[in-house]
Amino acid sequence: MAPSARELLTKMAPDFPARHVGDLYTDTTEFMRISHGDVIVLKDRHFLVLRDEAERRFGMEDPKFWVKRCRCLETGERNILKLVFHETFPMTIGSMVVTCTRSPRKETRILDLVHGDSRFMQGVTIYDTVGNPVRILDVVSGKRLDEKIEALEMPHRDYFHELFPEVLERFIEACQAIQWLHDRGEKHGDIRRDHLYVLYDTGRYCWIDFDYTFDFRESPFGLDLFGLGNIIQFLVGMGQHTTQALTPAKRAEISTDDCSIMFPNRIVNLQKLFPYIPDSLNRILLRYSLAAEVYYDTTRELIDDLSRVRDALSKPML
Amino acid sequence: MNTDKILIAYDGSENAQRSVAYTAAMVGCDGGRQVEVVAIERPPDRDLFADDAAWKAECAKRIETMQAALVQARDMLVAAGVAEAAVTTRFVESCRSPLRDAQECSIGTSIALEILRLATEGGFGTVVVGRRGVSKQEEFLFGSVSTKIIHAAKGLAVWVVA
Repeated sequence: MAPSARELLTKMAPDFPARHVGDLYTDTTEFMRISHGDVIVLKDRHFLVLRDEAERRFGMEDPKFWVKRCRCLETGERNILKLVFHETFPMTIGSMVVTCTRSPRKETRILDLVHGDSRFMQGVTIYDTVGNPVRILDVVSGKRLDEKIEALEMPHRDYFHELFPEVLERFIEACQAIQWLHDRGEKHGDIRRDHLYVLYDTGRYCWIDFDYTFDFRESPFGLDLFGLGNIIQFLVGMGQHTTQALTPAKRAEISTDDCSIMFPNRIVNLQKLFPYIPDSLNRILLRYSLAAEVYYDTTRELIDDLSRVRDALSKPML
Repeated sequence: MNTDKILIAYDGSENAQRSVAYTAAMVGCDGGRQVEVVAIERPPDRDLFADDAAWKAECAKRIETMQAALVQARDMLVAAGVAEAAVTTRFVESCRSPLRDAQECSIGTSIALEILRLATEGGFGTVVVGRRGVSKQEEFLFGSVSTKIIHAAKGLAVWVVA
């Protein structure tokens, strides 16, 4: 039985309600036991647990019991503590099943690698008394990119001409950040649009969550490239477009070749929906279509193509 | 292009075994041809394992399996009539292997490019590779050694045995 955190909290967090005071933990192995009011002790730092983090996807809340939202009692700052949770699970991508593994040491290594680089979430790893690497993450001061895009209330044409050029510029920088990882033999592992934040202070993009890994053979960065493709589809389309959402007349114009190589209902040939999308940009989107014969092999190739589109968009229209 | 030197890219899979059988049938007893069977080590990702001991054990198991497969490939060629002296095998360790003690190693980013490098350096005129027959989706995510060899090969013939 872990000792009570009462004395410590009375001294360091007098505002914390006494009835919620929990236990002190120096060993975080049993993370399911650690909850609101408990204090995690890591070397000379104390973290008051406020709640478990949860991921909101498809309208459902998915609790992550190994991820704790905390307050550091020494600094008063909010931190996210990721405790060790080894799991291997099948991840379904369209009709494919990919075996994913959660790797605390991968995330630790990448956090060390990207220290001081605002293109990535920041944090340090401290080992608990039994050697579990606990990742202490700074809360990203920003908003999810997909939520920002989805909240826009304007016609797609206006978005595309007025806002998209800057979105593209920032996304290219985000791709360069991923290429920087790849150049060092590391993969992000879980590139999704809700893992990219827009920082409040600079408007630049910041990647989070690097603890997934997978063993691909000839294309070690294939899943990262697929993730980047999904995001650019979303950004160009100002959201995701599926065949189900179209009118019957419009749907008749869409063939399977216009849809995602992985998801047969997702339209990637967005020029058919928005004819003002230039060919050079649409060709990038089509690299992710079922009709594609050649795929991106490296992030550099994707960046080169996106940069050409950016340069063309920034030229004045005659 | 040296048509007398053939390099087989080998990983011990059924497809690779078919490529050995096909090469054996093509070369047969023609004493003028040299056949080299090459396997490139591909250790599992270290991050997939909770500790280094488990990772090293898996690496060692894979090396043992691959070396046994190379012996089997050599036996297949000799049994088909290729002169023993004309068959060589080669196992290229990965630079990332925790068990490595060889001078030459594979950097491991692409088996296909490693195979083509060895073919160029060794003056091989033909590279033989088995093809799994993967779907577009699999090729997109996982990549394909044979497809990459076809796209990247220059100055040599590629036999793809499907």
